[in-house]
Amino acid sequence: MAGFEDNSKEALAAEYVLGTLSAEELVQAERELAADPEFMALVAEWERRLAPLALALEPVAAPDAIKAKVLAAIAPSGFDTSNVIQLQRRVNRWRIATGLASALAAGLVGVMLLQPAPVPQGRFVAVLQSEGPGPAFLASVDLASGTISVRTVGAEPLQGKSYELWALGAGREKPQSLGVIAADFRISAAKLGNVEKQALNDTLFAVSLEPEGGSPTGQPTGPVLFTGKLVETE
Amino acid sequence: MSSAIEAVDRELGQLLVQVAGGDRRAFGRLYDLSSGRLFAVAKTVLRRPELAEEALQEAFIKIWQRARQYDPAQARPLAWLAAIARNQAIDIRRRFAERIHASAAEADEADTPVMAEAELAFELKRLRDCLGRLPEERQDMVLLAYYQGWSREELSAQFQRPVTTVKTLLRRSLASLKECLDGRV
Repeated sequence: MAGFEDNSKEALAAEYVLGTLSAEELVQAERELAADPEFMALVAEWERRLAPLALALEPVAAPDAIKAKVLAAIAPSGFDTSNVIQLQRRVNRWRIATGLASALAAGLVGVMLLQPAPVPQGRFVAVLQSEGPGPAFLASVDLASGTISVRTVGAEPLQGKSYELWALGAGREKPQSLGVIAADFRISAAKLGNVEKQALNDTLFAVSLEPEGGSPTGQPTGPVLFTGKLVETE
Repeated sequence: MSSAIEAVDRELGQLLVQVAGGDRRAFGRLYDLSSGRLFAVAKTVLRRPELAEEALQEAFIKIWQRARQYDPAQARPLAWLAAIARNQAIDIRRRFAERIHASAAEADEADTPVMAEAELAFELKRLRDCLGRLPEERQDMVLLAYYQGWSREELSAQFQRPVTTVKTLLRRSLASLKECLDGRV
């Protein structure tokens, strides 16, 4: 039976492509892959030999939300993509962590009780926060009254700059402006377009720092300071 | 290569050039053309849908970042894209190893949905033919590693062979495959 020479480049390349190297060998392979054109060519040959197996799989439609998330993550400069990716990871952790959504909702009720406005039933909320402690804004989408409202919770007031609210995900190819956040910010929920539950659950809100009066380009131009995922509260 | 994949590869090849130049619209089209196949690859490696989705998402972000490195002389477009998705999925599988533990039960339900015989590409038929010449146990090892990202340790537990033996068997199997694929007239 033919065999590779022990620990030859060929053996390393073949098992690298198969995916069975030990952690230690993997580090070695990746180092060679970055530095050694001969090893690179061997890996490419092995990818070519085994690729027919991967391409034999029956395609499976991916959820629409994935495309939106990918497009948001590669959004044009001025928009801090690492922020979005980190946020997506955070959102995934939220989803995985059981009971967190209801705990969050319970916490929000506490915040809202401090406000003079009554608490509408059946709504989506997003806690917009940065990596730092504490939320900055609370955004809510109330389907019953058809409004989106934003309350400032911890964000510092600005001189000569504006906070602008954006919607991302749920099929949007790029961030959609929902306007500059002013005191008592309230707009029609119809501005979001699709207000199906699934679409709202896939929507992400972000707040960027813009010149006074809002972004001149229609896309975020300043840093994204706060982000938050819409969460159904009931 | 089946004509369906050939046609997709032709378009993907052009799109990759545009994507390398930062064309987001071309990237959207590339996603539409290839995401179903890449998701299938991620799902066979990562059973859990939320992990497969994470792999797909991270794979496409890498594709966007690495489109400039694509070399048509080295790989056909779909194969190149699928390799990125598969590597991403295997990487996630290793990170979450404790949650996706391979078991005999998993192997039993591991029926991978492949395309109908008539649609199989010539190259796949040839590869399957060469795989078919290996002893059955070794065919299973290679396929479980390739499709489901099993490590040597997992294969060792499943086939009740020492890890070093698994390594030897895998390397012999790959050497035989190479000889069969490259040496055949």
